Amino acid sequence: MDLEANRKLLAAALARIGTGDRNALQTVYRLTSAKLFAVCLRILGERSAAEDALQEVYMTVWRKAAQFNAGLASPMTWLIAIARNRAIDFARARGSSRNTEPIEVAAELADDAPMADTTMQTAQDQARLHQCLGGLAERERTALRGAFFDGNTYEELAERMKVPLGTMKSWIRRAMLKLKSCLEQ
Amino acid sequence: MSDVQDHSEFSGDELLAAEYALGVLAGPDRATAERRMARDHGFAALVAAWEQRLAPWAAEITEVAPPPDLWDRIVAELPAARAQGGGFWQSLAFWRGFAIAGALATACLGALLYFGAVTQQPPLIATVESGGRPLFVATIDPKRHTIAVVPAAYIPDPTRIPELWLIGADGKPRAVGPLRADRTVTIALPPALADEAKSNVALAVSLEPPGAPTDNGPTGPVIGQGILTNL
Repeated sequence: MDLEANRKLLAAALARIGTGDRNALQTVYRLTSAKLFAVCLRILGERSAAEDALQEVYMTVWRKAAQFNAGLASPMTWLIAIARNRAIDFARARGSSRNTEPIEVAAELADDAPMADTTMQTAQDQARLHQCLGGLAERERTALRGAFFDGNTYEELAERMKVPLGTMKSWIRRAMLKLKSCLEQ
Repeated sequence: MSDVQDHSEFSGDELLAAEYALGVLAGPDRATAERRMARDHGFAALVAAWEQRLAPWAAEITEVAPPPDLWDRIVAELPAARAQGGGFWQSLAFWRGFAIAGALATACLGALLYFGAVTQQPPLIATVESGGRPLFVATIDPKRHTIAVVPAAYIPDPTRIPELWLIGADGKPRAVGPLRADRTVTIALPPALADEAKSNVALAVSLEPPGAPTDNGPTGPVIGQGILTNL
């Protein structure tokens, strides 16, 4: 299925969930659960916690679908944000993210894998983000990766990269500022 | 710190929105951001803009199928979630009320038009409801011995089929037939059932697994009841 058809199908299903339609929730589940489960699994690291989080993700979708505004966000962006936030809630509740191993900045270089999934995000958006991330300092990109993919807090990132908390905060803030400015060009 | 001027372009709100969207906040800072999102649309829009900027990154994550029974766990939790209060539920109830009112109006109008045109005998009507929520509207044409059942606020369960029952004079449920969430079902009543279908007789709807026997009453939960009355 192409991206635009997928987007329309998801937006329509979210609108129907807002009226209490369970079939519409099932449609959203069928189309997105493998991606959202992977997002949760990446942050939580073990399947049973990721399953609990995913259940909460779709309960949140059920409750909040009426608030989804197709004019403000793409359905997949909205769903990914819910999945990341529910998984992060679980991670915070148990005290830590899955991955708090020390990060060697140099080792992260090879980790900037090409993006391949064009069923949910446009290739153009992916290429643009990738290009802007490429413009960051390695340590900044590494810190952002730890936050986005592993759900790390400032404190966890500071520990993983062996820098003081204040330094980590300034890296992240500077990186986000650069990223925004690059994406707006 | 020496980096102050580097991020001085971020307003306090924008910084908090970026930090929340990225996911680096914990404890009270995260809670503060969530409270702001709930009551400040401008702030929520800042967070949404950051989510939009970062979301394409998720394309890197390879999909992993969740276990097959996870959907069942979600379905099992849905009614309990509906019972919870809160601002959103008020708006959902509002919209659902709209849908119900529309479905009911359509059902009643349909019944009136249908029976007004084809019969002089007054039809019987029953609203099968649950806690004041009309799930189905059933109308019986006493002349033709048919029952037409229109879905109202029934929320379909993908794993089970709604079955209509008529509670006989002996108090035992008699299976009438399976219903549908998406359209009107018209069922011809066998003579034994047609004789029992009178004013003040109860109808009920239960949720049955596909292929469940109907000889001995419902096997699944009864989700609503109604009383037949003359229209």
